[in-house]
This record gives sequence, C-alpha cells and structure tokens, in this order.
Amino acid sequence: MIPSSTTSLAMDDVHRSSDIVKVESTINYYSDGFDDSEDPLFLSDDDFVGDDDGAADALLEDIKEDEIDLLKQKQQDCKILSTAELRQRMEQDVAQVSSVLSVSKFEASILLRNYNWSVSKVSDAWFTDESAVREKVGLLVKTVISCGIVSNKRKIIICGICFESHTSDRIRCADCGHLYCEICWSIYISTSINNDGAGCLMLRCPDPSCHAAIGQDMIDSLASEEDRKKYSDFLLRSYVEDNRTTKWCPAPACEYAVEFSGADGIFDVTCRCLTSFCWNCEEECHRPMDCETVRKWISKNSSESENVNYILAYCKPCPNCKRPIEKNHGCMHMTCRVCRNEFCWLCLGPWKGHMNCNRYMERTDSEDKRKKMAKESLEKYTHYFERWDANRKSKLKARADHQRVKDEEFKKLSLSQDIPEAHFEFISKAWLQVVECRRALEWSYSYGYYLPDNEPAKKQFFEYLQGEAESTLEKLHNCVESELKEFLDVDGLSKKFSEFRTKLVGLTTVTGDYFEKLVRALENGLSDVNSHGTKGLEEEVEDCWCCDRCTYANPSSIRSCKVCGSLNIDNVNE
Amino acid sequence: MSGGGIARGRLAEERKSWRKNHPHGFVARPDNAPDGSLDLMVWKCIIPGKPGTDWEGGFFPLTLHFSEDYPSKPPKCKFPQGFFHPNVYPSGTVCLSILNEDYGWRPAITVKQILVGIQDLLDQPNPADPAQTDGYQLFVQDPTEYRRRVRQQSKLYPPTL
Repeated sequence: MIPSSTTSLAMDDVHRSSDIVKVESTINYYSDGFDDSEDPLFLSDDDFVGDDDGAADALLEDIKEDEIDLLKQKQQDCKILSTAELRQRMEQDVAQVSSVLSVSKFEASILLRNYNWSVSKVSDAWFTDESAVREKVGLLVKTVISCGIVSNKRKIIICGICFESHTSDRIRCADCGHLYCEICWSIYISTSINNDGAGCLMLRCPDPSCHAAIGQDMIDSLASEEDRKKYSDFLLRSYVEDNRTTKWCPAPACEYAVEFSGADGIFDVTCRCLTSFCWNCEEECHRPMDCETVRKWISKNSSESENVNYILAYCKPCPNCKRPIEKNHGCMHMTCRVCRNEFCWLCLGPWKGHMNCNRYMERTDSEDKRKKMAKESLEKYTHYFERWDANRKSKLKARADHQRVKDEEFKKLSLSQDIPEAHFEFISKAWLQVVECRRALEWSYSYGYYLPDNEPAKKQFFEYLQGEAESTLEKLHNCVESELKEFLDVDGLSKKFSEFRTKLVGLTTVTGDYFEKLVRALENGLSDVNSHGTKGLEEEVEDCWCCDRCTYANPSSIRSCKVCGSLNIDNVNE
Repeated sequence: MSGGGIARGRLAEERKSWRKNHPHGFVARPDNAPDGSLDLMVWKCIIPGKPGTDWEGGFFPLTLHFSEDYPSKPPKCKFPQGFFHPNVYPSGTVCLSILNEDYGWRPAITVKQILVGIQDLLDQPNPADPAQTDGYQLFVQDPTEYRRRVRQQSKLYPPTL
C-alpha cells in the first residue's frame, strides 16, 4: 500500500471511483489469504463497488473515516519541512527561549545550540543554575568598562591581534571586553567560518583565556556577505542535525528536512521530493527488513559485488583446490600458488601430459562435490543479489517512468480520450504502487537470503507469498506500462479506456493487497507458518476469517474483529 | 588566505613589544636571512628551564616558524631534533594545545605567551597527549630514570653568552 501518497489525493467526486476502490483495499477478498485460485484479473466491476447497498455504504463511510484517521496519524508522525519552514521554526524556538529567559535572541540562539536545540533542556538547565549555564556556553554579563572605552570614539586603542593603533570606533569586543580591530575580527571570523566548519558556531573570543561566545550579531556586523550566508547555513544545519526529532532528507540536492515523532517499529517516511527513506537508519525504505539486516546486506554487497564480479570475469577455479585463480602471465601453463597443482588455463586439464586442447570435446566429467559446495554459496548470494538488484533498478525506472508519464503523456492522453488530466490520478496511483511494490520486493530478496536454510516450511511459505506478489506485480507493471500506450495516440477508444481503467484500478488494489500480506508476513517473521502448517489451511478457512486490518483469525460466527473491531466485509456483502 | 599581509605587521609589533619588555632569561629574535637582513617569519628563541625544577640550568633553543596566515594560524615551534620530552615529536616539534590550530590557538596569543607556555610544559608534561615513545614511557613507567635524563639534557644546553 502507499499510504503516504494517498495523502495528496483530493477526496472529491472526480476521484470517486478510485477512492472507493482504495477503501475496498482494506477489505479482504481472499479470506483464506493465499490459496484462492480465483484470478484477481477477473474480478468484475460489481465485486468492487456496492454503491446501491445502503449498509455497505455506511460501512464504507466508516472505513473511510478510519482510514482518514490513519492518514492523519501518519501525517502527525512525520512532517516535511522546507528550508523556510525550518528557519521559521528555529526563529520561533529562539524567540521562545529569548522571552522565557529574558535574554537577547542571539544569546538564546547560542543557548539552544549548546543544548541540541531543545527549548525544554535550555530552560531546565537555566533555571537550575543560571551562572553554570552562562559559564558553560560563554554568555557573560556585559562588562561596563569595555563599553565605556568603545563609546569614547576619540580614544586610541591597540588591537590585541595586529597590535596596531586604532580609533575606538574601529574597535569591537564581545561581552567580555577584549578589544580587537574590525579587520582582525573579520579575519578571525572568516578563518573560523571557512576552516572550522560547523565549529564556527561555537566561536569564542580571540583571547586565549576568555570563554565569551561570539554570537550571530557579531558575525552579521563583521563578516562578509558570503561568510554570513555560510554561517547562517551552518546554523540551519545545526538546527536540523543536532535536533533529535529532525533529519535531512538523504536524497541528493533535496533541501527538505523531515520531522519524525512516530512510535518505534515503522520508520518509513516520504519526503516532499518523493524520496522514501527509513527515518531510523536513513537508508531507503526497506520494509519488511529491519535496519540491522539492511546494514549487513548493504555492506555485504559493497564488499562482495566488486569481488564477485571480478572473480567471475577474470578468474577460474583451480581444478584441484577450486580456489579462484587469476592469470597474469602470458603462457597457459598455470601453477596454483596454494596446492601447486599444474594445469592448462584453457582446458583446466592437468599440465602433466598436456599436449594440446584445441580440439573441441564435449564435457563428460560430472561436477565434483567440493566444487559444487564452493559454488553454491556464491550462487545463492548471486541469485538473491541479482533479483534484489533487478527490482531496485526496476523501481528506479518505474519512478522515472511515472514522472515522464505525468509530465508528458497525461496531456496526450487527455487530448486523445477527451478526459481532463485530473481523471488520470488512477494511473499515477498505479505507478506509485509499482514503485512501492518493487521496493518491497527488492528487500524481500535480501530477506530471502538471510532466511535460515533449516526452516524449509518458512522458506516455502515465503517463496509462495513472494511468488504470488511478484506475479501480480508483473501484471500490474505490464498493464500500466504497455497497455497504457495503446491509448496515447488513438481517438475514440473511450469504452475500451474505461475497461482499462477498471482493470488497472483493480490490479492496483489487488497488488497492494498481496504486498501488504507479504510485508506483514515477513515483518512478523513468518510466524503464521507454525499454526497454519500444522492445522491445515482449508480447515481453518472453513470456520475462521482473517481480519484484513490486523490479520487476527476470528471465528466466522462474529462479524467484527475481536482485536481491532473491523467488520468482516465478506460477510456484510452477503 | 584572507590573513595575508597582517603577519609581518603583527610580527614587527611583537618584536617591538618584546624588546620593550620580556621575561627574564628568555631570548626571542627574528632570524637572519641569507642576505643578512632580518627574517621576521622565523624566530630563534631560547627558553630557560624553570628554577627549582630538573630543567633548571638548561637554556633550550626553540625555533618559531610563522606562516603568512599568522596570526590566524599558530606558528610551528621546534626544539632540536630528538629533544627529550613526552610532548615533543621526534622531529622536535612541540605538541601543545594552544599551538594547535584546530583547537586551542587564538590569534591573540602572543609570542611571549607561547614561550612561557612552553616553559611551563617542560616541567609539566601532558601524559594524555604523548608525542614520542622514549620520553613518554620513562615518564609513565620510570620516574627516576626520567628525571635523570632530564637533568642530563639540561646540562647539554648551558647558557650561551
């Protein structure tokens, strides 16, 4: 499912048909879960919509409300913030601290920076021991003497850095009263901004024994415009990066940040740039895999892929010990470094007695067991990696295709079919579903790699779910990719087009269901295997219905789920 | 670097201020360039060991190398190669927080403060930041031998008059 994308859908009449189908997606057609032989493609229109039925309508209304609640909850969990919004928030926080603590905004900003931008931490610390906080962050009570010196404009003062004499109007100091000329100040500030990175935010007075903090007011009046911009960027970065609740969207060149306050478990967030990522580990979304395994898989890929590719491309296994051997000298006479076996590079036959191997001979020797073992582990990895990688690429392609279709083909389609572009939301939805499913499928292959070999039942169940999900996804992907093309340049196909719509909308829903099932099953560690495996599917199907919301198996005698209260929609339709 | 130009002016002022007043026993003056003129960017200094310590009686030669980025960046301070002290690298370079451009250096630190700071370091090594194995290991494991070596080294650098 693609809950994050649905947030952008307007719930107006234009989208009525697709909305209903979306609502239906929470309803389980396949109460037994997976052994229904009915092909999802042949669901007729009537299966989807029960418009005339009052009871069903009311029910749909309920579900709709539930789903909106769910969406709202999702939105509360994560908020996408633009640079402008971030600055605004930062200013709000600064203003709040400034007014609560009765300090200037610049001082408030210094305080917040030192306490990870947490307003509550700052005020807690401040009201516990103000002088300790002042000492820690370098906020001094302004000295009267220095101000007096600076205000007397005629006075000649020696700068503590260049040791030259300046009139006091060219001399500046922080609250500590250490006097330096404006030139030395700006060099000092510029050196820090350009060399210390974010460290410039913690800039202190140039005096070696002084801890007075240099605030943004000093920076703004003494630094060049370029440096001021850098400083304010560092400040914003600190606001996002040091803040526990916000993170930058990891997409390159994306300037949005994501604020996340959700409960543990599901960390998937989607930025306004449409990048989805896991808020916890900042990798892309990887449901149903957990962050730790993803990290393992990614590091395995980066360490192995180069090796594997290299070995496959340039190496042959020693015919004796099977270690990969690279040939780096001209002649074909190879000697294995490890086992000293001598052989011919071309035919891998023993060098002793080797005459020539130019004659083609069908291979008859059966693979010996050792070689098989060595190969198997590599093959297993290659199998899962290839599929993981193919789905990843397919996902990226689908994302690009979706963008292209939205940008270019909707217009064409709108002309040829005489339908406003707004009505093509269902096509967008299908593409988003494809992207989402490719992503889930991608990670399901990584999941498969780590599935223990000694639990064949789980493996079988996993492969079954994955196979089902994958085959519907292929149908959906094909439908939205190829069948759409037929309508692009041709006129007067509106009847066929509405058939296409029905089919695509249906496929989107069904594919979503299959993937939801797959993802949920993998997330709970395929724990269904034990109960289902022992009891037998059919028996259970007879007197139970699985709640689509929470998967709890309810006795068929009750109509709403014992756990989450959802109604059994199959039952209602009857 | 934006600090360009300031270095020589500041060093000239440092020189003036030093000649006006400097701590007893210390020497600090710009080196002679090959053509006989003064090279403000390299200073030859002498640091006296503190009275009452094992360093007493030693007059330790130290060279300060200033860069064009001075005073934005600290000078490099070097004792003779192989100088025995836990916080002096085998090359002779002094490892001291105020001389670290990423950490303790501030442009307002004067030559005088640097030299006094290094004099303090001689008798108060910082075992958290060792720069040579020899000096560090003896300092930590064999204080008697360490003190013997220090006294021996102090004798190696008698006053030059």
